[in-house]
Amino acid sequence: MSVLVIEGLTKSFRGFVAVDDVSLELNAGELRGLIGANGAGKSTLLHLIYGRLQADRGTIRFASTDVTPLVARERARLGMGLVFQVTSVFDDLTIEENLLLGALPKLKGTQSSIDGEEVERVLKLIELSAVRSRRARHLSHGQHRWLEIGMVLLTEPKLLLLDEPTSGMTRAESRRTASLLREMQTAQAAEAMIVVEHNVEFIRLVSDRVTVMHRGRVLADGTVDEVQANREVQASYLGRRH
Amino acid sequence: MVLLLASIVFPLVSRDTFLIDRVGRYFLFAAFAISVDLIWGYGGMLTFGHAAFFGGGGYLVGMLTTRDAGFLPLPLWPAVVAAVVGVALFALALSYFVFSGRGALRGVEFAVVTLAVAVAAERLTNAGGSVTGGQNGILMTASLRVPGVASFQQGNGFYAFGGLLLVATYVGVKRFLGSRSGLILRGIRENEDRIDGLGYSVPAIKRRSFVLSAAIASLAGAIFYVHEGIVSPGAVGVGASTLVLLWVVLGGRGTLIGPIVGAILLPYLTARLSGSLLDTWLVVVGVILVAVILVLPSGIFGFLDRDRGT
Repeated sequence: MSVLVIEGLTKSFRGFVAVDDVSLELNAGELRGLIGANGAGKSTLLHLIYGRLQADRGTIRFASTDVTPLVARERARLGMGLVFQVTSVFDDLTIEENLLLGALPKLKGTQSSIDGEEVERVLKLIELSAVRSRRARHLSHGQHRWLEIGMVLLTEPKLLLLDEPTSGMTRAESRRTASLLREMQTAQAAEAMIVVEHNVEFIRLVSDRVTVMHRGRVLADGTVDEVQANREVQASYLGRRH
Repeated sequence: MVLLLASIVFPLVSRDTFLIDRVGRYFLFAAFAISVDLIWGYGGMLTFGHAAFFGGGGYLVGMLTTRDAGFLPLPLWPAVVAAVVGVALFALALSYFVFSGRGALRGVEFAVVTLAVAVAAERLTNAGGSVTGGQNGILMTASLRVPGVASFQQGNGFYAFGGLLLVATYVGVKRFLGSRSGLILRGIRENEDRIDGLGYSVPAIKRRSFVLSAAIASLAGAIFYVHEGIVSPGAVGVGASTLVLLWVVLGGRGTLIGPIVGAILLPYLTARLSGSLLDTWLVVVGVILVAVILVLPSGIFGFLDRDRGT
């Protein structure tokens, strides 16, 4: 069953086509890697899916609903969650308060309090239980990113979008992030995930399937081994990196 | 707790009824400062026009209790309730204008609109003729008392009434800040776009906080100006709006307790120095204020906000 179906998505900025006629389908249970060189259009595509940018052409269907005209807040309410490339946790709030902010939007009607167990579970998952009362500004870069993932997880997203989750991380932090994503997938924390990354080895660790973008278009699609063997991909992206 | 104990003991040991009365006024200033801290210190919405609500409460009570038309004049307490509701409704209408839609205002734009509100309020009250009393304002005829029960118009009664109002404001705002809306408001101060992205309605939370803040300011103002016996155009203007910002800055914004201290300390200092330094007191107060802000940029109680949770 498809969680996300994108057809003919196009976005230009003053004549520069950042995303060019992209179509993509994401199934339930899938963790899709989205790779490509700088300027390939990966992050733009992610922000179009989330609604932070509006497409010039094309359609986005999410959980059988046409979300193309909806803004980010409306898409978030339908079950999309985005972990930003630039960390945007609330530095002056404690870790627990940050997580509560992630959890609160899903409360319905008369429900007035958060399920404490859920917050505990996420605190353990992101390994921040011991420092829950500290202000977020005192965390390391990697911990910031995990906190942000935790906040979005508490919104119980159907579709989780992660924009370069390992950017700026040490090797050890990247490895921990990979195992965190795998744990999330096992625990079915989201119905489907899209991870935008530069780091192909990281993608190999976490993704079932990879889409390669180049100059705003989808260049190839398949397993990591399949796309690495693809000559076009080697010439336009991997060849330049290795 | 120390402040609360000191406040309880002070009227018992002091025989200076004028000073007791004056501290009662400072309590109302403090409630006003808390209302500003709520939206500026915790919500990041700098306002240059909050005196329009504080003085507006005074003006509405004045008009409702002194004018003779239709169902007027009203007894004091119904007039106070009507004044608070009236100011809150005005704040609600204003908040729809400034916080809603794609043209929602924030930062400097919001501050400029509040400044314009204060300027307009001062001009309107000046030009209001017999309704607002023009330049002379309104002389209050009502006094703070519950007929047959007690009078709170001056001395210990006024001190206790002001103190209770301040405690109720502090507890109420603290509870609000600890609620779901309060947490979201603090999130808005830090990153409004992120709060929006999480699926919250930023305009709804801002409106709620703004209206609550205006209601608190109007209640404090209504009581204050009935006690003063007069309300004039300066009460709703930019000068009074700026003064409350100084109290909040001095005490430490985003701390609740800081604005209380600022709203008591600065007016007290001003009163003391203006009595002894007839020509230079304003300069001395200014220098002290600048020195405190240079040494403690987050205010006297700024450390409470800065180091909490570390």
